[in-house]
Amino acid sequence: MAGRLRAWLDDRLGLGVLSEWAVGGSVPGGARLRYVFGWVLLYLFIQQAFLGILLAFYYSPSVTSAWASTAYLNDQVVGGWFIRGLHYHGASAMIVVIVLHLLQVVFAGAYRKPREVNWWSGLALAGIVILFAFTGYPLPWDQGAYWSTQVRSGIIASAPGGEVVRDLMQGGSETGNLTLTRYYALHVFVLPLAFTLLAGLHLYLRRRHGPTPPVTLSDEEAAARAQPFWPNQLFLAVVAMALCGVILLVATIATHGSELYAPADPSSNFTARPEWYFLGLYQLLKLFPGPLAIVGKVVIPGALAAFLFALPWVDRAESRRPRARLGILAAIAAILSGAVALSAVAIVDDANNEALQEGLAEAAKEAEKARELAKEGVPPAGGVAVWENDPEFAVRALFREHCANCHLLDGKGGEEGPSFDDYGTREWVAAIIRNPADPRFYGGTKHNTMEPLPVDDLGDDDLRAVSEYVYSLMGESAKAVDSELAARGKAIYDDKLECSGCHELEGESTGPALKGRGSVDWLKRIIADSSAADLYTDTAEMPKFTGKLTPEEIEALAQLLDRQRQKAEGGAPAAGEGA
Amino acid sequence: MADDEKAGEGSSRRTMLKIGVGVIGGGLGLIPLAPAIGYVAFPLDHKVTSSGGGFLPCGKRKGFGAEPVKVDLFADQVDAWQRSKDVKIGSAWVIELDGNLTAFSTVCPHLGCAIDFDPSAKKFICPCHKSFFSLSGAVEEGPSPRALDALDVKEDGDLVTIRYARFRQGTDAKEEV
Repeated sequence: MAGRLRAWLDDRLGLGVLSEWAVGGSVPGGARLRYVFGWVLLYLFIQQAFLGILLAFYYSPSVTSAWASTAYLNDQVVGGWFIRGLHYHGASAMIVVIVLHLLQVVFAGAYRKPREVNWWSGLALAGIVILFAFTGYPLPWDQGAYWSTQVRSGIIASAPGGEVVRDLMQGGSETGNLTLTRYYALHVFVLPLAFTLLAGLHLYLRRRHGPTPPVTLSDEEAAARAQPFWPNQLFLAVVAMALCGVILLVATIATHGSELYAPADPSSNFTARPEWYFLGLYQLLKLFPGPLAIVGKVVIPGALAAFLFALPWVDRAESRRPRARLGILAAIAAILSGAVALSAVAIVDDANNEALQEGLAEAAKEAEKARELAKEGVPPAGGVAVWENDPEFAVRALFREHCANCHLLDGKGGEEGPSFDDYGTREWVAAIIRNPADPRFYGGTKHNTMEPLPVDDLGDDDLRAVSEYVYSLMGESAKAVDSELAARGKAIYDDKLECSGCHELEGESTGPALKGRGSVDWLKRIIADSSAADLYTDTAEMPKFTGKLTPEEIEALAQLLDRQRQKAEGGAPAAGEGA
Repeated sequence: MADDEKAGEGSSRRTMLKIGVGVIGGGLGLIPLAPAIGYVAFPLDHKVTSSGGGFLPCGKRKGFGAEPVKVDLFADQVDAWQRSKDVKIGSAWVIELDGNLTAFSTVCPHLGCAIDFDPSAKKFICPCHKSFFSLSGAVEEGPSPRALDALDVKEDGDLVTIRYARFRQGTDAKEEV
């Protein structure tokens, strides 16, 4: 039955001819493990194509949706991280196997007549794989994608005539929506088509010229030991594919797929590093500073490409024997060692670069947070708009809406009420005691009754003590209080300056009572209603927000000011060093 | 090895190799194929698009009467990876019937075209497949399997709110999805 069906199909479709073309023929000298690399590459390409199509089921190429859709497919869609991870590691695997394939071909002298076109089409295929990596890496439009794209565009543009190439590739002189649509079109249509056509030519030529038999065998011996390609050589190829597949599987699971950094943010200071297979070129760039840069960017890589292309002509040896081609083999070995050495230097440099390592750790934390926030959905502005899901963003929006008319925060806002940039720190307390009339405090309001204290009335040392005391009244939020200094300050406060005449500790008070001043609870009361008897009473000009804002919103604003103070206190000066 | 081949004893060995190619190759195919199933089928058992739900304001009570009025309903929406605030999620025809407000979804129960109103004939019409509905939503003519889908309406003081919903299409029974 099966036989008849096969005969029927073969009659109509010519399957026999097809399979004879694909897996027929024999391997002179017998099947060998070292002939498997091309087949592993074919396997990897088919798997990459399959995974790429799957990724396209969810990925959306635009500046507003690229990151969000990648985060969605990676973190929410079932198995998404695995499919993306396998695609990512598959690219690395292709590069590794290409190098092995190339080394085997060079060692066997398989680039020589009559296989020059096999060699060139192979080089072109390798070039396409590099372009795949080049156009694929930017697609998620995360920090890594954005910044390495900036650098690569810069490299291309600095080559002679490179600006036109760059503008064509990324759709203009700036990166943006067109960059992603172009890279996407190249990555999923142009390059796969080119790769498929060239791979077809490559396979056709392999069939036409056959594998290159081991040079140690005479033609007769090779023919005598020949084995059929199917199944002998194909079996070895499939075993090699399986080995590669298992390594990829383990790598993907062990790394939980591929990195996805926080969304592209042109205003951040992310340190871009290329993928491992571009590290050699990256290190080469660093070797040639200034006017010599062109050497690292264009001359050396161009010379290498030209050398590989011209290899069939450069090789003038009489035979394929390695001993007859020592020069060629040495040159290839030198190139490979050079690339490995440069990459190793780059890796060691980076490992020893503490600032970079800290930056990477920071980037990883930021990525984790952004991806968590993205699970609620990313706002339509896309990418960095994911931070709008952050409560910090919401409270800042609240501040802009209700507070920024009168109060300055991070350099933005009105100047009627106190500015919040270092609000509540020791320095702030000292400054307001010294000169309460400074517009950064209550300059625009009715609080003008407190007298300034020039140095003659209160020396810097005593001011420091008084500030420490007032600062300490904040309670638990006060950081690293020097209690001795504060005690001395209290004495000056009570006896010499008689501050307590206006500022009670608690309860009804002419000026605000100072117990708990600056703490979150105190700030909440101020925001809710600053005219309370122990606060600003009849001089309060700030609107009462109780009723206008929910208690949660008021709490969030108070917490924001508290964080702001902690940020200003930053490096946590030891007690007393503040003034 | 070469001798085996010559002697023809290799044929069983070759069969083993052929089986090996099939088994290993098949197993290799499973690596990307197996996860692909759950990945592609993800929307089947996950809510991909969702909106806040609840009653959405559509206008003042005095704006509605015996003549149907079409209102647009706005709500926050999550569509796969995107969360949008206050986007149009649908619309409804609002009409006063026997002193009470009724709202009909503008989605035709037949195949989901937009229901229109013909003021001269005083009928709701689905222009795609020529279904006609009375002012109370009943099918008068055409392929629609059921009456227009009524939405929950609430009068909150002067304000009219509607709970927007979508229903399974093409069935006799009205079933919210």
